[in-house]
Amino acid sequence: MPSTTVDLLNNGYFLFFGKVAVLILLIFYAIFSLLIVRQVDLMGKTLTTGIAPVVRVFAIIHAFVALGLIFLALSIL
Amino acid sequence: MFPAFVENPENCNFEGQDPNEKIILLLRAHPITNIPWIVTSIILFILPFLTPRIMPLLGFNLSLIPQTFLLIFLIIDYLLVLIIVYEGFLYWYFNVILITNEKIVDINFQYLLYKAIDLAPLDRIEEADSVTAGIIGTIFNFGRVSIQTAGAQVAITMKDVPRPSKVADLILDLAKVPHQHQDFKGGV
Repeated sequence: MPSTTVDLLNNGYFLFFGKVAVLILLIFYAIFSLLIVRQVDLMGKTLTTGIAPVVRVFAIIHAFVALGLIFLALSIL
Repeated sequence: MFPAFVENPENCNFEGQDPNEKIILLLRAHPITNIPWIVTSIILFILPFLTPRIMPLLGFNLSLIPQTFLLIFLIIDYLLVLIIVYEGFLYWYFNVILITNEKIVDINFQYLLYKAIDLAPLDRIEEADSVTAGIIGTIFNFGRVSIQTAGAQVAITMKDVPRPSKVADLILDLAKVPHQHQDFKGGV
């Protein structure tokens, strides 16, 4: 591996920017997951079927996981 | 488990359904149309297993990246898989065409927080055309059904519906004598 790449990966600033990029990505993902909760609610009201409640619960769990991941990334990165 | 062609569906209602209105046929896109997002999710699923073997060939040493970053990238990758599968299923499952004893209802969720519902009363339907095209469409018997109503060029277009000729035939039958086909059982 070229020494410039090794130097780049050992650079504290590079890792800091990597951490910020990951956090921004996860924040956008969490916002997206909250939008999905609203979308699933809309879908369930438009077409009521047997699995609509299951899909809604899954969307809520998914949103909590996405929010929890931000705190996980903040703590381990 | 989740059929695309359901006659007289049970436990199924839609927004704006009248008290005496009965759903005769529920249509979704043929399941084979889900292949693109299924393949994408499979590729993303196996990507973390392939990455440690591919990266050294490209001259990149993964051990230089901190383990915590690798863990987060792994979680992000599987979240991506999860969301592709979940969204793919949601769009397929909730984008439906309902043929009731009163009207045709096209429920369309094209993208996030977008909902479009097209309604065509059966007594205003003048023509229904069906098209089955392409190798995949011919093999799996799915295609497009277009419905024309009085005063409109094409009122509703149903894409990738299973058994398009049967659907078009049913719609025309219902449009001619809408109140005599409530107990339709016409399986192929």
